[in-house]
Amino acid sequence: MYRYDEFDHAFVAARVNQFRDQVERRLSGEISEDAFKPLRLMNGVYLQLHAYMLRVAVPYGTLNSRQMRKLAHIARTYDRGYGHFTTRQNIQYNWPKLSDMPEILEELAEVEMHAIQTSGNCIRNVTADHFAGAAADEVADPRPYAEILRQWSSVHPEFSFLPRKFKIAVTAAERDRAAIQTHDIGLQLKKNDKGELGFAVWIGGGQGRTPILAKKVRDFLPEADLLSYVTAIMRVYNLHGRRDNKYKARIKILVHETGVEKLTTEIEAEWAHLKDGELKLPEADIAAINAYFEPPKLGDRAEGWGELAAWKRSDPGFADWVGRNVAPHQHPDYGMVTISLKPIGGIPGDATAEQMDAVARLAEDYSHDEIRVTHEQNLVLPHVALADLEPLYRALLVEGLATANAGLITDIIACPGLDYCALANARSIPVAQEISNRFGDPARQAEIGDLKIKISGCINACGHHHVGHIGILGVEKKGAELYQISLGGSADENASIGQITGRGFGPDQITDAIETIVDTYLTERISSEETFIACYRRIGAEPFKAALYASEAEAA
Amino acid sequence: MTVIWTQDGIVENDPWAQPGSDSGSKLLPLAEALEHARDNAAFGVVLQPADDVRALAPILDRVAIIALTFPAFSDGRAFSQAMLLRERLGYQGEMRAVGTVLLDQVPLMLRTGFDSFEVAHAPTIKRLAEKRLPGIDLHYQPAADETHAGPGYSWRRTAMLNG
Repeated sequence: MYRYDEFDHAFVAARVNQFRDQVERRLSGEISEDAFKPLRLMNGVYLQLHAYMLRVAVPYGTLNSRQMRKLAHIARTYDRGYGHFTTRQNIQYNWPKLSDMPEILEELAEVEMHAIQTSGNCIRNVTADHFAGAAADEVADPRPYAEILRQWSSVHPEFSFLPRKFKIAVTAAERDRAAIQTHDIGLQLKKNDKGELGFAVWIGGGQGRTPILAKKVRDFLPEADLLSYVTAIMRVYNLHGRRDNKYKARIKILVHETGVEKLTTEIEAEWAHLKDGELKLPEADIAAINAYFEPPKLGDRAEGWGELAAWKRSDPGFADWVGRNVAPHQHPDYGMVTISLKPIGGIPGDATAEQMDAVARLAEDYSHDEIRVTHEQNLVLPHVALADLEPLYRALLVEGLATANAGLITDIIACPGLDYCALANARSIPVAQEISNRFGDPARQAEIGDLKIKISGCINACGHHHVGHIGILGVEKKGAELYQISLGGSADENASIGQITGRGFGPDQITDAIETIVDTYLTERISSEETFIACYRRIGAEPFKAALYASEAEAA
Repeated sequence: MTVIWTQDGIVENDPWAQPGSDSGSKLLPLAEALEHARDNAAFGVVLQPADDVRALAPILDRVAIIALTFPAFSDGRAFSQAMLLRERLGYQGEMRAVGTVLLDQVPLMLRTGFDSFEVAHAPTIKRLAEKRLPGIDLHYQPAADETHAGPGYSWRRTAMLNG
């Protein structure tokens, strides 16, 4: 993975000092909260319902064990012993003191981490496929490009006061695990027919109150043109994006209102001036950044095949876990292991300091010191020999980290909701917990198969409800919490926005409603081979609506 | 009280006044500037964020100063206007930030090509007068300011030392 050089270290240290100065000026009253707000946001500091919240960047979701131990230390020292992994591959601390923030940032800097641009109307932490550099199906590792974008976008003088936040995601496989079509810019690394690397470029995706999927503006942008092209997009957006209404300020609205063809013409015209300038990436620099992401030297471990088969026969729990949580690696003797942060009845994405320390240790022992954070709020050990899966599983069991539910109905994405968030209208976490408990039986989950439930506690959609196979949106109606259901959303290469079923459900009805939907699917599906989303796309919303609102229809 | 600051310090007797002011040489809004350009005298322009800076291209050599407006600190359009004026149109004259100019934005403004600042906030004036700017001298991207190529990668820059 990327290692800081002297320049990076000096930059992050200067940034910490800069923030310390800003906090001092705020505490002395020299700057108002209004003026301080964008400054603290650009360092990841939010003011939440009960306390300040700090969001630490995990660039493209990649961590080593030393960094994970530091995250555990911060949870223990400055927070209440836990942290919350987010849908943007970051980690949030919910209870730190403002006066401790500079010190926390200094501790992070020691392990080459920061909280730069994890919030604010600027280019946010760049995300990537959590299986990058290990997945069997990628054309190349997308993370070097995410790192180049991370550097280029850090404290960008022109693009720090954009109309609204700006999110970039990079993937390098046909199978989209980074949800690029829901980002302001989505980049898919690919090869052209000459074998050269470049990007399909998508712009204008986003969720929030107006969910829109991104539009493709380039089928193949040569890799050398990455920064100049992104600059052209950013400049057109900065000059022309709406600033009169924060809910219409994302680039998706500019794309929608201007029209993708006209906007693309403007971007290309701007790019024509930039493409041969200082931002053209030299091959040597791309190669130098790539060198940091050289895959670890993975020795052959063919013995794992036989051992794995024997272990699976003797322990059905282990077999289930391998079946759900281990995915194919580039090296046939290895697997990519998802560590579920969705224990049955637990809070999605939360991990205790002890669990973080355990993951750090296991990454050293079994995964060449590498850990990933996924946008689905789980962790990944990307390079585990099949021969090591059994001892790894035993160790995870002890830590409460061996839940075999990756991609199943209890692998729920949920935002922090009204338990923490100042924007929320309704709670998300208790809804996730109750659904998880209802469907917690392993046999029942397995029978249901792949199903993504995503829960947001308000229209800002941090819980990605628009792209959940089943999406749940918490709203407030006459002072009470109400949950709207949408069906048919998806965030992968066949992305789609879910459709609302009808009137919402109260907190005591929502889990029953989800069960009704699941039962309808089980009745309607052709066979267990037909997943929920495939079945929904075949039969449409009507059978689900009929089941959900049957009693109303009878009453009428 | 509003003062004008440049990297050389606070400017005494600045001649340029905002439209509507009683004294000094007026900064002209874009439409008036294009009209005025038929005369021969040099003049100053004040642009709003929605103005297209490229309209000035034909008359740029006659412009003595361009003021770009930050109606609120959150409105960052003038950063791109400044980049276009410096990099695209090659404007080399004075470029002033007016409106809401916050201390923490001044380093970014300097990077995008601003070289004078109209400031009203007393603690900000004090910091600027003391030349205690809250900026970072290491940059991950080229901009309009004069910098050295940074170490390592083509996109990096380091600030020129003051002096």
